[in-house]
Amino acid sequence: MKIMNCPLNGPRNISEFAWGGELRAMPDPNTCGAHEWADYVFLENNTAGMVREWWCHVPTSFWFIAERDTVSDEIVRTYRATEVFKDRVEFKTAPLPGEPGS
Amino acid sequence: MSIDPTSLKRRGFLYRVLAEAGAEFGEIGGAAVALRYRGSIEEETHKARHLAIADLSPLPRCGFKGNGAVEWLQSQGLDIGPDSNKAYRQPNGALAARLAPTEIFLIDDLGGEGRLSARLDAAWSWGKEKPRKPCGYPMPRADSHAWFALAGAESPAMFSKICGVDLRTHRFPDLAIAQTSVAKMNAIVIREDRGGVPGYHLLADSASAEYLWACVIDAMEEFGGAAVGLEALRRLGGP
Repeated sequence: MKIMNCPLNGPRNISEFAWGGELRAMPDPNTCGAHEWADYVFLENNTAGMVREWWCHVPTSFWFIAERDTVSDEIVRTYRATEVFKDRVEFKTAPLPGEPGS
Repeated sequence: MSIDPTSLKRRGFLYRVLAEAGAEFGEIGGAAVALRYRGSIEEETHKARHLAIADLSPLPRCGFKGNGAVEWLQSQGLDIGPDSNKAYRQPNGALAARLAPTEIFLIDDLGGEGRLSARLDAAWSWGKEKPRKPCGYPMPRADSHAWFALAGAESPAMFSKICGVDLRTHRFPDLAIAQTSVAKMNAIVIREDRGGVPGYHLLADSASAEYLWACVIDAMEEFGGAAVGLEALRRLGGP
């Protein structure tokens, strides 16, 4: 069986993992248009070659990032999401109708 | 003398299956536990040295999770080291299994009185400081997970049939943890030897307890493994 290396649990059978989609930079939700946001949320680039993807080790629900060649299906590197996401992302929310500032 | 498990309010997930296999139940902490099977206890202990499974699901266990949970447990006197996927033995024989940097699964000692779980349960509170100091949150585990104990020299060989991780004793040291797939189920495997006999705790979704039990019984068959009661496990000796 194909083996993937989980950054938390070590090498495991590929059947223990679930694919979580392409890793992309998030556009600023306050300034980007609907098209750009929809593209970010719903569409995949479907690149032939090296991609960065989210993967989940299902028995531990541990999400991490893998670099994979989609042509050869070779997993080049796996690492913790903290390598990419170093700071907490805070979302500004618009005030609800009736709240101060609306 | 065996008691009728239905005479107690707390029973394991498998009590019907175990009763059919000839288990004799006793009461521990208000729960019906399969203590032994028909036949002599010496014979059953001998089986446990070779290959055996026991259902410990009625015994106490608990968990704590979240930022500050490990620090809070340490402040309660628990000995928990820095490595994840490793279990830390407590002075009373309980195990604190560190599943992740901020998650602990506690399994109490085989005495079954659940002294540590009860003490922590009574001690835990959100605290009165404002803003609140992070201390994690309790993660009840007694109903979420079935708890089986495997014992015997042949148990690593048996595991190789149902689990992809190499659990052989020279590759998977005492108190190591594997969170992986066992018989296609998500499961936690913790190695804990007793009296020099290789042993593993197997924790998995309680709703599928009968399925997993049947899978392990089936996998043990070619090695001559058998179900044993808690008494045989205790007789193997201490960790």
